[in-house]
Amino acid sequence: MDFMELLNFYIVPGLVLGSIYALGAVGITLVFAILRYAHLAHGDIATLGAFIAFAAVTLLGLPVYAALPVAMVVTAFAAVGIDRLFYDYLRERPRIVTVMASLGVALMVRSVVQVIWGVDAESYIRGIARPENWWGIRLKDREIVTILSMIGLVLALQLFLMKTKWGKAMRAMSDNPNLALLSGVDNGKVVFLTWLIVGGLCAASGFFLGLNTELKSMMGWQMLLPMFAAAILGGVGRIEGAVLGGLIVGVAEEVSVIFLPSEYKAATAFAILLLMLLVRPTGLLRGKVL
Amino acid sequence: MKNVRLALAGALLGATALAAPAQADVKIGLLGGVSGPIAAMAPAMIDSAQLAIQQVNDQGGILNGEKLVPVVGDSACNPQNATDAATKAVNIEGVIAIVGPHCSGAVLAAANSVAVPAGVVIITPSGTSPEISKLDDKDLVFRTVPSDDFQGRALARTLLERGTNKVAVAYLNNDYGKGLAEAFKVEFEDKGGEIAGFAAHEEGKASYRSDLAELADGGADTLVIFDYGDGAGLTMLRQALENGFFENFVGGDGMKSDAPIKELGAENLTTFTASSPVGAQSEALEVFNEAFKGVGGDPDAIFVTTSYDAAFLAALAIEKAGGDKAKVAEALRSVSDGKGETILPGEWQKAKELIAAGTDIDYKGAAGDHDFDELGDVPGVYALFKVQDGAFVVDTEMK
Repeated sequence: MDFMELLNFYIVPGLVLGSIYALGAVGITLVFAILRYAHLAHGDIATLGAFIAFAAVTLLGLPVYAALPVAMVVTAFAAVGIDRLFYDYLRERPRIVTVMASLGVALMVRSVVQVIWGVDAESYIRGIARPENWWGIRLKDREIVTILSMIGLVLALQLFLMKTKWGKAMRAMSDNPNLALLSGVDNGKVVFLTWLIVGGLCAASGFFLGLNTELKSMMGWQMLLPMFAAAILGGVGRIEGAVLGGLIVGVAEEVSVIFLPSEYKAATAFAILLLMLLVRPTGLLRGKVL
Repeated sequence: MKNVRLALAGALLGATALAAPAQADVKIGLLGGVSGPIAAMAPAMIDSAQLAIQQVNDQGGILNGEKLVPVVGDSACNPQNATDAATKAVNIEGVIAIVGPHCSGAVLAAANSVAVPAGVVIITPSGTSPEISKLDDKDLVFRTVPSDDFQGRALARTLLERGTNKVAVAYLNNDYGKGLAEAFKVEFEDKGGEIAGFAAHEEGKASYRSDLAELADGGADTLVIFDYGDGAGLTMLRQALENGFFENFVGGDGMKSDAPIKELGAENLTTFTASSPVGAQSEALEVFNEAFKGVGGDPDAIFVTTSYDAAFLAALAIEKAGGDKAKVAEALRSVSDGKGETILPGEWQKAKELIAAGTDIDYKGAAGDHDFDELGDVPGVYALFKVQDGAFVVDTEMK
């Protein structure tokens, strides 16, 4: 195998896949950092976002990329609604109760998607798109858009957290909720903001997964494990860690095929997760210890 | 006060006694992959089974005029959901026989953990894995679809006849994919073909490009995919076409789904063929086609004939067994053993009268005669399909 082949068929697909994981992992890490629990409905909310974008394309006739912001906004408010309906009144209870509730929410969201859009595979753009050759690297437009959008969204989020008042409030609450409350940070508003951002990121990851493959009602659920692996690999609570983790998990899954029988590909993320928890539970970038 | 309570209790008791119908309905489980990777195929299959049940009810009902009631369950094409759905059907709904589940892994799980211990007959219209023949099933597991052992071998011979001597094989890592791939591999290599790549993959991954690159390394220009056309098979086909890993694509029956045509476009599938069981042309098939068209069904959809036959056979067996669960398996063999008065699809009233008179009957189904062998299997006829004008048409018969 020469270098270009390695790049084209293993590294590039891995990076595209990794970008999709990264968008999901950033959301997971935010929930972990600010609300302090594992949110298991993350994948299915991503599915919901992907299908909302699909509705925007088919019903409103929007161009595919214009459907992304629509889906992000709608899903953001859906996520806030889910928090109000299901998680809010569990906030004072042990965390594990909320984790289990999120599993129930995952099943409900998936069923809603199945009831509205059915269970068939769908796609935003019919037909196939052959990659173009960029100095020997084979890339499709939508893959370039996926990677660039991921970088753009994460930079915007990072700027928001560092520079704005509410971003600082979110970080304060992540560090110490009681102290933040004492200093006048409105916890309720921070939770609201967190879910807005998380919902939007979920929609983006679902959208890009659907764009690069197909839309299926199980697509998000099947991404959940690699996303968690990415978040923990990078260090819980670290945005840049989640991005790094996502890219590593994506590339590792694709490259694993060279060394392992391909049926073990799906287990790669799991192996990374186990190894990381065993060797360095704080993650690559020293996140919080839960 | 005491008297009032007593009266109330008495009234309630009376009401329940009245509410219980004089004749209990006879329930039959219809388990299928309503969600999951074969979701696009399942509705038509369940509809055709419902047609059989509707005909039974329209023509005098089952046993003493009772209604045959279908209990639809979602086996989601995986072992966990199949076990759940079968448990619910058997233990809560109290079904007397099960038609389905649709996928091989689901059939194995439902049979092993629920139906066989409970002594309930299972007839699958589409579970094709050779593993199902090997089940220790106390003669309770049947199928109206031939085992993939036949299909894999027939496909191998057909490809060799067409001059394809070197292929790579990608199969889904479950009972269906594995069974088919192994049967294919044995026959293909026996007859002098070369397998240049042979790898399993998991479903639900976003990218199979690395898998495809590994397979293409062997130098074959034909990829044989044993997967589902609504699941990973679609993603794989898309990525292989987009990146030009292979020139020709051959699928098993799971790939003969409308999803690839709908999502990838017929113009991109000119080099794609898929094998699938076909009903041999017969009077029974025509009768079924008319009846299924009559209720708005598409008789060319995959596995509708086998689903219909499975449901109709189950009804016949229940009738013959007199509603006794323990005798259904034995009755099933006797209503379709090639001996006795011929019953065609939809001829419920005739069958019912003959059974009542004690005459032997023999069901000739839409998909074939269904003379079960000792493993509960039936032999099969296959054809290789190609895509033309946005639909699958028969390319060659397979022997």
